[in-house]
Amino acid sequence: MTAGFWHQVRAVIDRDLLRERRSGDVLWITIPFGALALLLVPLAVGTDAELLREIGVGMYWVIVMLFGVLVAVGKASKETIPQQDASSLLGLDPAAGFIGRTVSSAILLLAFEVVVGVVAVGLYNLDVLGPAWLILTMIIAAIGLALLGTLTASIVNSTSAGTALVPLLVAPLSVPLLLGATQAYDGLRYGHAIVSWVLLMVAVATVVAMIGVLTARPLQES
Amino acid sequence: MSDPSTAPAADPEKAPSSADAAAAPLVVLDGVGVRMGSTQILRDVNLEIGPGEVVGLFGANGAGKTTALRLIATLIRPAQGAGTVLGADLASPDRYDVRRRIGMVGHVPGLFPELTLAENLQYAGRVAGVPTVRVPEALAAVGLSGAADRLAGASSHGMQRRTEFARELMIDRSLLLLDEPHSALDRNAVDLVEGLIERKAAEGGAVIVVSHDRDRINAIAHRSVELAGGTLT
Amino acid sequence: MAVTARNLRWPWIAIGISLAVSFAMAMTSPADDVQGDLVRIMYVHVPSAWLAYTAFFVTFVGSLVYLVTRNLKADRVAAASAEIGVFFTGLALALGMIWAKPTWGVWWTWDARLTLTAIMFFVYLGYLALRRTTDDPVMRASRASVLGVLGAIQIPIVHFSVVWWRTLHQPPSIIRPDGPSIQDPMMLATLIISVVAFTVVYVSLMFKRIELIHLDDERRAVEDSPDRPVAGEAVTVPELGAN
Repeated sequence: MTAGFWHQVRAVIDRDLLRERRSGDVLWITIPFGALALLLVPLAVGTDAELLREIGVGMYWVIVMLFGVLVAVGKASKETIPQQDASSLLGLDPAAGFIGRTVSSAILLLAFEVVVGVVAVGLYNLDVLGPAWLILTMIIAAIGLALLGTLTASIVNSTSAGTALVPLLVAPLSVPLLLGATQAYDGLRYGHAIVSWVLLMVAVATVVAMIGVLTARPLQES
Repeated sequence: MSDPSTAPAADPEKAPSSADAAAAPLVVLDGVGVRMGSTQILRDVNLEIGPGEVVGLFGANGAGKTTALRLIATLIRPAQGAGTVLGADLASPDRYDVRRRIGMVGHVPGLFPELTLAENLQYAGRVAGVPTVRVPEALAAVGLSGAADRLAGASSHGMQRRTEFARELMIDRSLLLLDEPHSALDRNAVDLVEGLIERKAAEGGAVIVVSHDRDRINAIAHRSVELAGGTLT
Repeated sequence: MAVTARNLRWPWIAIGISLAVSFAMAMTSPADDVQGDLVRIMYVHVPSAWLAYTAFFVTFVGSLVYLVTRNLKADRVAAASAEIGVFFTGLALALGMIWAKPTWGVWWTWDARLTLTAIMFFVYLGYLALRRTTDDPVMRASRASVLGVLGAIQIPIVHFSVVWWRTLHQPPSIIRPDGPSIQDPMMLATLIISVVAFTVVYVSLMFKRIELIHLDDERRAVEDSPDRPVAGEAVTVPELGAN
């Protein structure tokens, strides 16, 4: 990975973030949809404050995992074949493209988590415990989910199902992220171990990152 | 079936220079076939293109011209036969390494609609390792200085094609592939395209032009090939 | 090239004998002291779960071998195993639920093994869904292999996460969801023989499934004759109507 490789990564990140700034898909569609989902839950399970406080963190992370996939898939899925061909003929290293798309997705996912998190705290009367740990788990969850979303989007690229298949592929594989994030919060709440859960999330992200980088070129070539 | 690489040039005055003719061919296809799923698109394609050559590629609708271009651009793997482009085997992962030297302006623009014309070129420059200071000069060369800040998605098809030609002016390529380059272009832009083709050939590169406008292409090409029945004649 | 039908017979014979032996032993083994005859579900449920994990391991190995060697045969083994694995995973889950309801009063418990099995089921459903949406065999093999490796490597991580989660959140009930402990030697022998019998069924089904894949490949080879028309030959000169 040469200096040129990281310049390419940076170019892809800037490209995707600029595209999101102009289109506003995450800011104006996905985030409001996530907030709306949080609003719908009490309508279905009841408005008992204690119940909502108990399930609030879990519901928040489920919504992040399910809706976050839409954030991660959105950017990658919006590349048409001519756009992909053009990038490829510029000499874009497939691994650089993968890392760039992942980083831009992770940044957007983090924004999603923060905004929807504020809504969750308000609607469910949640305690913001251990801010440093919370921020860390949010960052790792964003990276892990972005990695899963970007890798699976590459896998389904040019297939007939397209991005419709990505949530089905990502959701079961994101279980360790979901458990890690929720149990880390429980750790803060009840004094359980947190580090092991955070390390579990890091393990997921590391494994997916390695597979993503190693298979970036074979996936593009196929 | 005749071997197009030994066919006489369409016009002796437009033949590649003897130095170019002696150099290694840039494109060699030997019995190449291409399939998309279970559909055979190209079959037993033989082609050799040397440096400095401009080759016109003609054929009916659906004949596989765009597929042939994408094959030569190393974006598609051959299902049968063998070939090399710029020395890289089409069936091996090494073909990735030569893509930076292949330019292609396809039938459908590959710009990002949310970026401006200038931003699309800046992105291309950054990925290709070309200084982005060349962007204003490239846009000026194609007559789009005044539209640099217009979103690609809000630009006409012709403007987007001009921008793609600007990209090819910015980046040093050994092989240029043009799919219906005159489509959607006004007279001035058409002259630009032909100037670009001549310049590339003079630099020792090769150009393959897919077009339905046989007269215009035959006027600038060294030779032409016809795609019919999935193969070249 | 003519299509040659291999039509292996021995897999069906092996399946028949294995299931017959397993059934006979399951029906003649003693009933459980607590669950009575309900325990006989165990002789299908446990082998099914064993096969599910085995099949997905084979999918993982086949996927890895394909990514390294680009040999399509490895991908076909992976795909065949995944199909069989999904079936037996579904069977294990369904039988587990049928067994749970009269035993524990609930259709489902969130114990680590059941939860992991359910997650695996969806991972490999996704794998099969991906294969169905990809026409080109090389593209299908590449994409599915990456998913096969990703899914398999993630399974141990998922397993640990679920086990730790259940460790923190044990259900208050005294009922142990990890099944009865087997002390009767006849029951243990029946279970072991059932596992062996189902393994024979898996291997036999793999042979038949791979045989089907070979037949499909031969059919394609016949269709891929050099004289087969190319796509462009469907476009002809337009013929304007008279007048």
